[in-house]
Amino acid sequence: MSRVPGAALVTGRFHRRSRPRVLLATSCLVAAALLTPLAFLLIEAHGAGTGAVVRLIFRSLTASLLWNTVRLTIVVTALCAVIGTLAAWCVECTDLPLRRMWAVLVVVPFAIPDFVVSFGWASLTTWIQGFRGAVVVMTLAVYPLVYLPVAASLRSADPGQEEVARSLGAGRLKTFFRVTIGQARGAILGGCLLVSLVILAEYGAFEIVGYQTFTTEIFTEFDSFNVQAAAALSLVLVVLGVIVLVGDGWARGNTRVARSGALAQRARKTHRLGRAKAGVLLGFLLLVGLALGVPVGSSIYWMLEGGAHAFAGVSLLDAAGDTAAYSASAAAVATLMALPVSLLVTRHPTRFGRLLERSTFLVLAMPGIVIAFALSYFSLRYGGGSFYQTAPLLIAAYAIMFFPLALVGVRASVAYAPVALEEAGRSLGQRRLAVLRRVTLPLVGPGLMAAFCLVFLATATELTATLILIPDNVQTLATQFWAYQTALSYGQAAPFALVMIGIAAVPSYVLGRFFDRRPSQRAVAR
Amino acid sequence: MRVCGLHKSFGPQAVLMGVDLEIPSGSFTAILGPSGSGKTTLLRVLAGLERADRGTVAIGSTVVDDDREHVPAERRRLGYVSQEGSLFPHLTVEANVGFGLPRGERRGGRVGELLETVGLSGLARRYPHELSGGQQQRVAVARALAVRPQAVLLDEPFASLDAQLRASVRSDVRDILLAAGTTAVLVTHDQDEALSIADFVAVIRNGRIAQFAEPAELYARPVDADLARFVGAANLLEGRQEGGVVETPLGPAAAGGASGPVTVLVRPEQLEIARLDPAGSDAGRVAGRVVSTSYHGHDCLVYVRPEGAAGDLTGAVVARTLGDPHLAEGSAVTLRINGPVLTWAPASGPAPAPAAEAAEEPA
Repeated sequence: MSRVPGAALVTGRFHRRSRPRVLLATSCLVAAALLTPLAFLLIEAHGAGTGAVVRLIFRSLTASLLWNTVRLTIVVTALCAVIGTLAAWCVECTDLPLRRMWAVLVVVPFAIPDFVVSFGWASLTTWIQGFRGAVVVMTLAVYPLVYLPVAASLRSADPGQEEVARSLGAGRLKTFFRVTIGQARGAILGGCLLVSLVILAEYGAFEIVGYQTFTTEIFTEFDSFNVQAAAALSLVLVVLGVIVLVGDGWARGNTRVARSGALAQRARKTHRLGRAKAGVLLGFLLLVGLALGVPVGSSIYWMLEGGAHAFAGVSLLDAAGDTAAYSASAAAVATLMALPVSLLVTRHPTRFGRLLERSTFLVLAMPGIVIAFALSYFSLRYGGGSFYQTAPLLIAAYAIMFFPLALVGVRASVAYAPVALEEAGRSLGQRRLAVLRRVTLPLVGPGLMAAFCLVFLATATELTATLILIPDNVQTLATQFWAYQTALSYGQAAPFALVMIGIAAVPSYVLGRFFDRRPSQRAVAR
Repeated sequence: MRVCGLHKSFGPQAVLMGVDLEIPSGSFTAILGPSGSGKTTLLRVLAGLERADRGTVAIGSTVVDDDREHVPAERRRLGYVSQEGSLFPHLTVEANVGFGLPRGERRGGRVGELLETVGLSGLARRYPHELSGGQQQRVAVARALAVRPQAVLLDEPFASLDAQLRASVRSDVRDILLAAGTTAVLVTHDQDEALSIADFVAVIRNGRIAQFAEPAELYARPVDADLARFVGAANLLEGRQEGGVVETPLGPAAAGGASGPVTVLVRPEQLEIARLDPAGSDAGRVAGRVVSTSYHGHDCLVYVRPEGAAGDLTGAVVARTLGDPHLAEGSAVTLRINGPVLTWAPASGPAPAPAAEAAEEPA
């Protein structure tokens, strides 16, 4: 076992336990499953021969795709960081009126698929096109990825540090930037990481606004059975993803959020907004209006416009049922897969474990289409095609794609149940199973539920991989919507958009509740 | 509770290297050691939260940990109270205390009794985060006692409390445990705490028990100079033993042991300090000057640099007076060793002091 830097001072307080063989083995299996798509890429690229790959990569097309992708990623990530952090701070740390309502409404746009936001805007105005359109649409669609972790971290941060900063003569603003933001820095960076990776993998939204990135180009290549070209471009995309990961690791450096005086747990003091209150309220109204109101309103408008004949009730119900079933299965599988990795990383911190955890984040840098094709490829080559376009394969693809989301939730929840509490339970005469039921699960449960919901949300609105892996006679809400949307039948597409929003809104409400729960439940999280 | 030849290491780092210890039933025993000495590890092995690499642990007549067997923590009936208290954050105080009880007893009688014992009856419905640090620790103790354990193991439970609270919570907890008649083992790095609270103190050093004794014995007759310094302020002088008397730079003192060069332990309260008498009636006393004083209210430590014959002593010696001695810096004083002292021949154990009984050895 290599030693992590923080454990250099091994005293009586730090107890290394025996090697967790089972955890290590299952975690390795999970990581292996997650990295199959990468293996596929490499095999495919290798099959094409180095010369061919180099020729495919060094084209003028690659340069323009690179420019498009990188500038969009940077601009949207920066916007999301600002919007997400400010919104989280206002909801968590100020006397914003109706903060419980805002806490829910601000998260809901996360439930709206990016391509629906895109559809909502682009079908209303031609102003939403190209780079400009992509920036607006993506920012409104993904800022909750920053909001959620930042809000959680602000809630659990040590209020003492702000007080100390004020007492050292730092003004409100200085305290905000140097202490509050400092405490939430890890969460902000984590959110930005997710935003960047999501943008690298997005397909539907950009297709609608007519903005070309690596991922849309890869889809086109795959669609025309140009597998090698797509694989070569995917390699570049993975490299971009790695750059984002490394940049994130570099930016975090060795920042550690230490919390002193663990025994006395106090609530954070709320800041008075004072005269800024009206402005802040207006800002929230605007944000929710643009991110939630426009897509929903536009869908309703098109549905009414389409009239009753456009409304295919039965197919809608079928699609909704299938979508929910796929999503629930995928969420369960992904959450289960995230458990061993989370336990390994939080309870047996080693460099290898961290590397393992990091490697799983690579998955987000891969477009859904690559994962989908990888699984098709494997099932065709090694399974005789028996799994091709079946439900298990689709669910496996979802579970792999959204594993990092599950991991975020599960890791946080595992941290709520430190080993010390389990030891306390056992020393009180309770068997492991009873401790699991009475201590660990109640503490971890809400977090697992949150992880489940995160994956459910993402899956219910997944488009790209679904288009490829969906069984023959089945349609999910997303694929049916896409079919209508592509045919410009906005009236028929709109009900599907609305149901997708509805299906995802329930879990996102649960999510909001999870992140808003009693401080007692995260009292010992450290 | 008996521990024999206990070894434990974490990776390449050996923490316990042959611990032998017997904790008398019904006693309050403190395990005292500097940080990194392995005291917490020892406690966790006792609790069954770590498994020993070698050696045996027995509770009563039952072996709970040896090469063949390892009884897990949940079947040892030992209450473990950690430094943080480790209260379950999702449960009320009441539910925390009742956690280890069978389902039927979790509400009512026993829990209420225990909360009364620790003086927290009114807070049964609170959550841990709504309690102060001292209250949390008392709940943790009540929770450990609820299951009627064979012994309670306390891992520096007072370390995170402030000094004043620590003293009161400490004596509260001691009273609670005494009233319950439970064997208690306390791990601490604070010698003051160990001496004041425990019936027996086991000093752990470099992964071994350096000494096991009653507090007074430990303070008066530590096994070597390092230990003497660790358990309290000490003047360590070079002397020469001759018959029943040891000759030191601060004058002669009664001491037992073989003739020859020795190291002499003089506790500050054994050093009698007086103002220099201008009349010169200071026969047999060593002159010196006050370097500094450190006043504590109930007593005062006076640092004195000896002069004249004893001037070859390096550094100052320290004497303790009751109350305020009214000695300014630079005052001329005289010193005298009062009563029998402990001596060690070089590189060997202590010689028996003339007036002391034979040392009580741990079994």
